[in-house]
Amino acid sequence: MKATTTAQAIYGRPTSAKRIETGVFWLLRLCTYFVLLCAAFIFWDIGAKGGAVIFKSSAPFINVPFLTEAPETLNVFDYQGGKRTMGDRAFRQFKAEHEAELKGVPVETYVYSAGGIFPNIAGTVLLVLGSMLIALVLGVLSAIYLSEYATDGPFIRFLRLAIINLAGVPSIVFGLFGFGLFVIAFDFGVSLLAGWLTLAFMVLPVIITASEEALKAVPKGYREASLALGATKLQTIRNNVLPYALPGILTSSVLAIARVAGETAPMMFTAAFVMRDELPWQVQRWTEFVFQGVMALPYHIYVVASKIPQNEYTRDVQYGTAFVFLFTVAAIAMTAVILRQRLRKKYQW
Amino acid sequence: MSATTENQPLPRLATREVLLRKRRGWFFGMTGDQVVKYLFQGNAAVSIIVLGLITFTIFKDAVGFIPMNHANLAVYRLAGLEYVDLYREQVTAHSTMSRYLADIRARQLDILMQQEGLTAAAAMARLAAFDDFANKFADTINEQETLLGTMSDLVTAVKERQKVAEDLMVARQNLLGGMQGAAPDRAAQLQKDAAAIQIEVIDFKAEIQPVLALRPELVAANASQIAAMREIAAQAPKFADAELSRRMGKFQGFVQGYFKEVEVIAGRMAAWDQAKPIGWLEAFNAFAFGRKWVTASFWQDWYGIIPLLSGSLLIAFLALLIALPLGVAAAIYVNQVARPAEQKFIKPYIEFISAIPSVVLGFFGIAMLGETLRRVSQIPALDWVPGFPMAERLNATTAACLLALMAIPTIFSLAEDAINNVPRSFKEASFALGATRLQTIIHITVPAALSGIMAAILLGFGRVVGETMVVLLCAGNRIQTPDLASGLGVIFQPVHTMTGIIAQEMGEVVRNSIHYRALFMVGVVLFLISLLINWLAQKIVRRYRISIG
Repeated sequence: MKATTTAQAIYGRPTSAKRIETGVFWLLRLCTYFVLLCAAFIFWDIGAKGGAVIFKSSAPFINVPFLTEAPETLNVFDYQGGKRTMGDRAFRQFKAEHEAELKGVPVETYVYSAGGIFPNIAGTVLLVLGSMLIALVLGVLSAIYLSEYATDGPFIRFLRLAIINLAGVPSIVFGLFGFGLFVIAFDFGVSLLAGWLTLAFMVLPVIITASEEALKAVPKGYREASLALGATKLQTIRNNVLPYALPGILTSSVLAIARVAGETAPMMFTAAFVMRDELPWQVQRWTEFVFQGVMALPYHIYVVASKIPQNEYTRDVQYGTAFVFLFTVAAIAMTAVILRQRLRKKYQW
Repeated sequence: MSATTENQPLPRLATREVLLRKRRGWFFGMTGDQVVKYLFQGNAAVSIIVLGLITFTIFKDAVGFIPMNHANLAVYRLAGLEYVDLYREQVTAHSTMSRYLADIRARQLDILMQQEGLTAAAAMARLAAFDDFANKFADTINEQETLLGTMSDLVTAVKERQKVAEDLMVARQNLLGGMQGAAPDRAAQLQKDAAAIQIEVIDFKAEIQPVLALRPELVAANASQIAAMREIAAQAPKFADAELSRRMGKFQGFVQGYFKEVEVIAGRMAAWDQAKPIGWLEAFNAFAFGRKWVTASFWQDWYGIIPLLSGSLLIAFLALLIALPLGVAAAIYVNQVARPAEQKFIKPYIEFISAIPSVVLGFFGIAMLGETLRRVSQIPALDWVPGFPMAERLNATTAACLLALMAIPTIFSLAEDAINNVPRSFKEASFALGATRLQTIIHITVPAALSGIMAAILLGFGRVVGETMVVLLCAGNRIQTPDLASGLGVIFQPVHTMTGIIAQEMGEVVRNSIHYRALFMVGVVLFLISLLINWLAQKIVRRYRISIG
């Protein structure tokens, strides 16, 4: 800044260097805002079209059936001169009542295009909760070890190498791994448990790295003071390190939740079913609970986006599902980002 | 903690002894702190174990691929499919020429109707001579096609029998495997069943004889075909239009080329040796350099990674081409130019973009972006762009645009970090010498952060190559090596990718089949690519540290 103002003082008008600078800075600014605009457009497109499905202009203002029912096949047929659309159950009843009129009327069907997405939401929540529980326990304990106990050596170097490489492994390879090990070798089948473990391992490096960073940010003086007062190492960690690192760990794990929920590839063949009639908690014995596959939102989006045609009858379920999913994940991520912003301001050592 | 071991009153010890006495732990001789430490350490080791397990799992299922592909190729040769495929090349070459003629006809029809303003019927009448020529030409392959059909039927029958024999072999293995741990009478029953299975041992040498016996017929057919073609080609109709004349001339060249090809193919068929063993390297190369990925085919399955790898790389480079300037520009802008208020807004925003689930982006590509791009490509004013108008809504570019949006946050945050780590003194020294802000950025800050930026780009590349859902939904999923002959238009071709093929086919394959293992091989390739990228990025970052210090 100084340099240019001096130049202005000397020459009295902007130099060519200054003009080029302004031009280039505008170019950079343009690039940056272009990226932001692109993302905003995606949010707007899905927000507007999906929002129209989820929200209603009359009470209760929310499309409750869409959020509380299971997906159904949509039947489209001509009836009394107009197009009628009906979910499978309603259509069967209707057909029984109007058998004579419906004879010979062609019926187009679109799978999953009627009903709602409740089992998918439930399945996703279960998947995320379980995998985060596993990942958090493993990840935070690992981070404590790395930041508080580890001294540099071959084991630690190897460990860090493993974590870094694990972070770069493509999610589909985690999917293959989960399929090969949990689903087939351990014979869990396509199940919640296989999905939990696969997703947990996928997100583990993220949690370890972020938690370690949060632990490292706690000043050394806190630990030394505690140790000097005769506390054991464990007491020090429990009372003088973890409480201060906890907010940081939690924010990063919230971001990790967004990642777990958002990944489709690893759960595609470890945990997700295209269609399942029972809800996850409708099991005979509790042991069956972890060995059941579930329907999941991201997989449902994949299915409705790729396996059924794009037309006016299927658009609702496509955009509606994408809306629910995108904005749930976005809300989680937003919380994390805002929390992190706040924490940076609050804890400045 | 030690109180648990000292619950009995002990004789009073001297202070010195108390201090020097090693405290016995309560858990396998360890103190509480030690136990906790090992607990933590054990958890940390999980990362290593997981990496090891991943490596083990995917390699274990992948290595089986080579022997299976070896057997697959061996049957291909033994049953004579390879021999027939040689002959098929000749037929394909001929039909390519017929297609070329059809293309000429279409152009001529276009000229007649558009320029000379003839009605369809009149134009057809004018083309009658040409049609006659084309039909005669097409008929010259009939004999070969019949022969090809006969040979195909013969070898497919052999292959089918071999397949049945293999299945029975597996069934017998299963029965014998079931004997272990079974009750004696049950085991005896199983053994009896296993022994009862009749497995045909196919004598490939004998089976191939009927096919080879057709050789004289092939030679005769070729001779009569060449004679007929010479005669027909001499009567080729002439065109007034210069372009069409040129094309007709080219066609004559093709005919001459075909004659040579017939000879070459005949030579290769004569030299074909059924007994020539297939090398292990050949079985591996068929994967690593194979240009065909054909599965569940009635004829022959091929598992070549080249179409998938090239598709993945094409998309990744395209995406990087878009993401790189935008990501780095945004990083420079936010770190060096933007006001603090802007920084506070943009940084979380971009971080937030990385949270958009990839499947939603893929859906957006299907529902919105693909169609929009195609509409844009259909604007007449843009016809000069190679590849416009797009043939397919979903193609490499559609996927690359969305992947770029996914790579930008990665590139942005790492590059921004690298720029942020450049010591202030570098910048201050530059300013002190009278450089403007832009000069400082170009000559000082960016070069100093360059290795960090390079690492960012590499990791962005890794993210793009490994991404699944966007390419699965938006890349068009056509298993085909991108055709570089079409110039820049190649970026608008639909492609398939390594990640996409795993996601698409894994759910449908039979466990432990060759297809299943081939998918794991693809997984191994992906895994190795990700390790390589990580290693490179780390190497670059390590050098960067030294250069700053």
